[in-house]
Formats: sequence, C-alpha cells, structure tokens
Amino acid sequence: MKKLTFQEVIEKLNKFWSARGCIIVEPLDTEVGAGTFHPATFFKSLGKEKWRAAYVQPSRRPCDGRYADNPLRLQHYYQYQVIIKPTVPDIKKIYLDSLKALGIDLKAHEVRFVEDDWESPTLGASGLGWEVWLDSLEITQFTYFQQVAGIELDLVPCEITYGLERICMFIQERFNLFDLEWHNGVTYGDIHKQHEIEYSKYNFEEASIEMYSKMFEYFEKEANRLVDSGLMYPAYSFVLKASHAFNVLDARGAISQNERPRYIARVRSLAKRCAELYLNNKLTL
Amino acid sequence: MKDFLLEINVEELPTSYVRPALDKLKNAFIERLNRERIGHGDISAFGTAGALICYVKDMSLKQEELSQEISGPPKKIAFDENGNPTPQGIGFAKNQGVDIKDLKIKQMPKGEYVFIVKKIKSRPAKEVLRNLIPEIVKSIGFPKTMKWDDSGMRFARPIESIVVLLDKENIKIKLGNVPAKVIKGTSAGAYLKKLEKACILDQDKRKTEICNMIKSIQKKLGLDEYVDKNLLEETNFLVKSPVLMIGDFDKKYLMIPRDVLAASMSKHQRIFTLSKNNKLVNKFIAVIDGKGRNIAKMKKQYANILEARLKDSLFFYNEDIKKPLSAQTLKLKDLIFQKDLGNMFEKIQRLEELSSFISERINIDAAKREDIRKAAYLCKSDLVTQMVGEFPSLQGAMGMEYALKSGEKKSVAIAIKEHYLPKGLDDSLPETIEGAILAISDRIDNIVGLLGSGIEPKGSFDPFGVRRNTQGLIQILNHKSLRLELSSLIKKAIESYKGKLKISQEELEKKVINYTKERLEFLAPDTRPIELKQAVLKSDCNDIVGVFKRVEALSEISAEKYFLKAAKVCERTSNILKGAKSANIGAVNESLLKEDLEKEVWRAYTTNSAAIKNLIKEERYKEATKAYGEAFFETLHRFFDKVLVNAEDNALRENRLAMMQAINELYTNDVADLAMLPQIVV
Repeated sequence: MKKLTFQEVIEKLNKFWSARGCIIVEPLDTEVGAGTFHPATFFKSLGKEKWRAAYVQPSRRPCDGRYADNPLRLQHYYQYQVIIKPTVPDIKKIYLDSLKALGIDLKAHEVRFVEDDWESPTLGASGLGWEVWLDSLEITQFTYFQQVAGIELDLVPCEITYGLERICMFIQERFNLFDLEWHNGVTYGDIHKQHEIEYSKYNFEEASIEMYSKMFEYFEKEANRLVDSGLMYPAYSFVLKASHAFNVLDARGAISQNERPRYIARVRSLAKRCAELYLNNKLTL
Repeated sequence: MKDFLLEINVEELPTSYVRPALDKLKNAFIERLNRERIGHGDISAFGTAGALICYVKDMSLKQEELSQEISGPPKKIAFDENGNPTPQGIGFAKNQGVDIKDLKIKQMPKGEYVFIVKKIKSRPAKEVLRNLIPEIVKSIGFPKTMKWDDSGMRFARPIESIVVLLDKENIKIKLGNVPAKVIKGTSAGAYLKKLEKACILDQDKRKTEICNMIKSIQKKLGLDEYVDKNLLEETNFLVKSPVLMIGDFDKKYLMIPRDVLAASMSKHQRIFTLSKNNKLVNKFIAVIDGKGRNIAKMKKQYANILEARLKDSLFFYNEDIKKPLSAQTLKLKDLIFQKDLGNMFEKIQRLEELSSFISERINIDAAKREDIRKAAYLCKSDLVTQMVGEFPSLQGAMGMEYALKSGEKKSVAIAIKEHYLPKGLDDSLPETIEGAILAISDRIDNIVGLLGSGIEPKGSFDPFGVRRNTQGLIQILNHKSLRLELSSLIKKAIESYKGKLKISQEELEKKVINYTKERLEFLAPDTRPIELKQAVLKSDCNDIVGVFKRVEALSEISAEKYFLKAAKVCERTSNILKGAKSANIGAVNESLLKEDLEKEVWRAYTTNSAAIKNLIKEERYKEATKAYGEAFFETLHRFFDKVLVNAEDNALRENRLAMMQAINELYTNDVADLAMLPQIVV
C-alpha cells in the first residue's frame, strides 16, 4: 500500500467518520489549544441531543514551541477531532478500524491504551480514558467525557483526538515531523518550519506582556458583558481569546506559580457562564 | 458440586487498579458465598487490564439448609397443669406459622421455655448468584469511576461483556445494560482452559515470567541483573502475552544524568533501563504484547521516539549547565512559595537561618556549618532550571547534579538532594548530617508556614502535606539521633517568618506540637501496650529521640512485675490527685507529717528520689522504673490502707497531697504517665 501523505490522512479520516454518521465540520477560526474548544465539541457535549461530528482543528500551545529544533514538538499543530454523543459500545473497535483504514497493520504493531484521564482546567472539562500508543508513540487521546464547564453530562460523549503529525510519522516512517510529506513532494517543513521558528521566538521572547495582560482584562470584560446580553457565541469567542492570551503570557514566563490557578479559574468561570447560557437558550427556543 | 466462573471484560483498566480489584473480587466472593451459605472450594481471582476473572472450585448447587430456634413464652404460661395449650401457647404457634404439636420445651437459665425450630428454605445457588454478582461487582470500588451509558452503572472503564458459568449453565444476569454472554456447551473449567491458552492469565505467573525473561537477557549480555519493581508491576498489566524486545539508542545521550534518562525511559515509554557495573548502557528492554509483531520496525520506532525525547532533555541539560547553579538562585524571587508566605528566595533565607540555628544547637563544627549554609542557599535553585520545569520529580536530584557541575563540594551537593527526603512514609532518610539538618529546616519551615497561614489537613485530605512533613521531621530527628528541643525549633521557625503568619505564636506552637503527637502515634507500631505511646507523650515530647527511647525501653519491660508496680504507683497517686479539691498543692512540709506510715512514705521519697532522678537523666529507663516501683509500691499500699489523704484538717490534707504529687511527678514528668495504661494489675 502506498504511504499516505498528510493531506490524504485527513481525507481518509473524513471519509471514514463521514461514513459513520459524522458531520464534517470546518476548523474554528480562532486560536485554540485543542479541538475540544471548538463549539462543535464544547457546546454540543451539553444537553440531551445526539451529535456526531469530526473535524481538523489547528491547535496552538505557545509553551510547546521549540524553534523547529525538536522532531516531536510544535507550538502549532493539527488535531483531528471526533465527537460521538452518546458513545457507542463498540467505539474502541471502530477507532481501531480507523487506524486500519489508514493502512496501519495492527498485527505487526502494537496499540496500547494507557490510562490518562484527560482534563482541561480552563474549560472545566474532564473525562476518563487513555492515551493511545502505537509502538510507544502517542497518537491519540481517547476520552469519555464526564463533565464540561463543570456540568455533569446527560449523555456521555466519546472524544477521539488524533495527533495527525504523529500518525503520519508512523505511516511515512519519518521521525522528524518537518520531513513529513504534506502532498506532492511538499513537506510539512516547507509549509510550517519558518512559522514555527518565528512563533517560538514571538511567544517566548517578543510577545508584549503589557499588551497581553491588558487584552486578557479586556477580553474577560467583553465576554462577561456579552453573556449578560445573551450573545452566547460572541461571548464564547472572547473566552477563547482570553484563554489564548493567558497561554501567551504563560509562555512569556509572565505568570507566577501562584497566579496561574487564578487565571485558569477566571477563564473557567467565563466558560461556565457561556455553557449555562447555551443550556438556557435551548430551553427557551 | 460444580466449578463456577465469572469473567468481566472491560476496556483497559488503569494498571494500578487491577491488582486491588482482583483482591476485592476474591474477598467479596468468599464473604458473600459464606454469608449465603453456599459451600465452595478454592476461590481465586486473576486477570489482565481487560479481564477480571473469579473462579470458584466445587461450588454447592444449593444453599445449605439452616434451622433457627425461636423461643416463646415460659412453659407454665403456654401450657396449663394438664399439659394443654393455653391461649398464649396457641397464639405463639399461630404467630410463627407452626402447628401446636411442633412446640418444643427447653431448659433455659430462667426455667423451662417453649420454642420452635424454624427451617429456612435453601435456594438454588444460581438463583442466589443472580442477585449476588451485581452486588459483588458494585462492591469492587475504584479510586475513580465513570458512567458510559444510560444505565447509571459506574465502573472504572466501560464493561464490554460478561460471562457467568456454573459448570455448563449460563446464569442470566445483567450489569448495567450489558447482559451475560450465552456460551453453549462449555463448562466453567473448559472455558477457563480456553482463556488460559490465549495468554498468561494469572497475574503472578505473568509477572514472574516477565521478570525471568528480563533477567535472562541481562545475564546473557553480561549486564547487571536488576528489574525496576514498579515498572515491572505496571508492565505486567499492560500486556497479556509478554514478548521481550531489546533495542539501543545513540551513545551520546548517556551524558544525560541517570535520573533523567531513567525518568524518560520508564515514565514516558515504560521501557527498562539497562546497566553494566551500575552504569547505564545505551540499551533498553521493551515488553510488548503478543507474538508475530514486526519487531525490526518496532525497535526502530521505540528508539526514535526515545531519542526525540532525549534530545529535548539533552537540550535542557546543556542550557542549564551553561551557568553555575548559584546563578539561578536569584530567580527564586519570581517563584511563589505559598500564597501569603512570599517567594522561594525568602524561603531559602529562612532555611539558612534555621539550619545555622540547628547547627549551633547540636554543636556542628565551623567547616560543616559553612557547607550547610551553602547547601541551604542552593537547595531550591534547581526549581527554576529547564530540566526540573520539564520533569518536576527530578527536583533535588538535578540540584545535586548541577551543584557538582558547578564545582560545589560533594557534601553540599548531597545535602541538596537529601533535603527532600523522605518523600513518603517508606522513603529513605537523609544519611549525611548536612542533609538531615537542611531537611529538618525545610520541614519545620513548611509546617509552621502552612499551619500559620491557616492551611490544615481536613480528614484524610492533606494537599500541602502538613502531616507528611511532620512525620518526616520526626523520622529524621530519630534516625540521626538529634537531641534538639522541639519547642525552641518551632519558636525559631515562627520568628524567621517575621510576622507573616496569621496565627499567634502561642496557638501555633500548640498546633505544631499536636500534629507531632498525632504523627508520633503512627510510628513505633510494635509498642506494647499500645497506650504506652500516649503515656510517654503525656510526659514530654520536646525531645523526639527521647520519646522513642522511652517508648522502646518501656515497651520491652511492660510485662515485668516491677513495671506494673511503677504503673500502679502512678495510677494511685494520680487518682488521688485528680480527686483533690485543693487548688494549691505546694511543697511537702516535714513538720506536718504525723502518722508513722506517712513518715515512712516520705522517707522512701527522700532516700530514693535523687537516685531515680539520676537514672532518668542517664536515660536508664528500665532501672529507673524498677527503682521507682520498688521504692513506693509496698509503702504506698500500706499508707493508703490506713491513712486518709483527704483529711479534715486543711494543712494536713494539702501536705499529704503535696507528697503524692512529688511522688507522681518524680516519674511522670520525665518518663511516662503510666496511669494512662488500662487495667494495671500487679
């Protein structure tokens, strides 16, 4: 079998999950730390409606930048997110089928489900599940959500988050992600290397602490004001902006150990207000 | 009698959950089958992260019959003189649903009574099991549980399927929404055999197998035979059919400190490090699951991932050693110690102060004092290095490594590492005096700071480790036999916070002492009788080493007659003092001694007290106890028999009480208040 390119992996996953009833949603156009922040997961996990979706989500983790020096770490990377609500009994088997669909020979290689109870303190989201290891390479986070925005969920969703670069590394047998073939001979490095170097420098050295500190305050204020006026989606987009501002400040080393939990609690309480508004709005619709 | 099997197939459980779950499963079966009167042979539980199995040999197919006696009214009320039943007799029989002729008579201590024997019906085992199994499964209990469907069932991970076989019969049950699988024509025994063919089901067999495989490779390659216990246990529940794979990585990464390499390998990839003559080699062992894998490709993959991670570590390491460790210390000003308690730089300043205070108290020589001061200044600096930022568990170990790289003395470097010891109850303790003094300083600073800012453990919840710190403090003092006055240490620690603490000095001192007493109770578990610890603590716990010495000495002699005599003396004097109404008991006035017997008691005191005090001072507690018991036991006995302590005359009474107090305090002030022991019989 021909080795899939980065682009083809996404196509295969879209096809695979689309055939299993998922809506293929497009990425969110705001900086987020993970696919979970997309409204297609955050809001849709709440309430009693069934929901199935899959999408690519570019994700930013300013602290993880390595100036394109590390073969495994990036401050900007791609997650492939699947959300199945409620979960189905054979979801693990379906997931393994998806790996087979990508041409991974599960007889020749070992897939391991290693305990990892995922948690997003800023979103007040948590669940039980695993890191999925393929020959000791972590390729997926697999979680049964129990709570979102601190709210106990009515229907337990299963969230499957593929690390697209990691899976491609395995498929293409390249151990530096900048060498991955995106498509047609163009590499991941061609597209992202300069971007990685510049953003690592920006996040660690250049980002204005003064500006981000002020922005955090503004975003928080705006989010609160918008929740008060019942505008859930605009409010939520400011929560995400605040969360990203916090991440940049963190990477800049501007947040002490002591302040950290306080910042996180501020974002979480905003996220909770949005989630409550969402549930309320649904009642009145 | 037939064999029984329960198999719970579950999505991969956390590795640390499996063994306790199997133990609970087994015990729950034993307990409940006994409760339900279902006979059985051996019960065993085994499994993997994906399957919990309980196998019961020779289970009875029916509950054991049980007859129960129910007694009724006395015979003379239930029957008249002619032996005919009275209305009361008829009523009892009717109430119990038996015929009048089934009433029997029994001789009881209070006379003859009517009674009946009631047979409790025995139900078929399979019927009982249908209710029992869900109850047993629910009783397993995990540190964390989840729900996954609308059944409300909670378990550590979703249950996939269950099999319940009593010999060949399927017992129809449901766990949440999951019904038992139908297995046709297979007995429990045959089913188990089939499972055992597919993998090594028994966790202990599997563990031994993995361990032996690793050791035989180590032997073959001429490497040290060593298997990391924790990783072995974890690996044992990551695989079902272990296969070993040996791989290697680039030699250049061996320059990374051993702790970092080991953390990266065992924590992030669950692979075993290998060493020769106690030095790591650039090889690893991975235990994988199942045969027929593409080992060549897997090996490459493991090595590549390892190297990618090590590259990160090497980068951090090289960054960190560009500057001496002392260059990091000022950065501690940006690191918060605790809310309201300032930053880490202020903390190390306090540690310098505290450690020099301790050094002075226990007469440490000047050269060592300087090393301790240096270690105190450097001991937290690794917290702001990149490596510890990435691997927080390496705090201390990196501090030592970097101190050595920066050309610090070995004793300084070791003290930096040791000051974090003990990390838990069973952890090792600091061996060097430098490390011990710094560890004591850090602990008392934590305890006083936390309690002083209002942070206290709640129930079993002790997130900041007040109890852990206290216990560590006690263990170190005792381990190094450091005779240090606890109250002055506490005072010094409070003082060094310079008014930052919310709680008053007096109250805080009391709190710290109370936690110390509480923790002391958990130590020295072999003390007999158990109340002896309380008795010793009542006397004085300012000198921890002394407390341990006294507990140990007294525990050894607690069955001796002279010990019991001494205890009796404490008890009798203490009782009389407790009952005394007089508030002001002063010194004994010899001119007020009237009776011969009280003069005799006082003579016993004046002739023996100096010698006893001396024995106590020399910490010869056994001899002191013997001398004390023998000096007073008989004399006091005679005295109490004949002389009334609480005499009418105030002066007389107070003088006698004063004498009792002097005798009591002679021992209880500095050894133990033995009056606290239960049932002292000489």
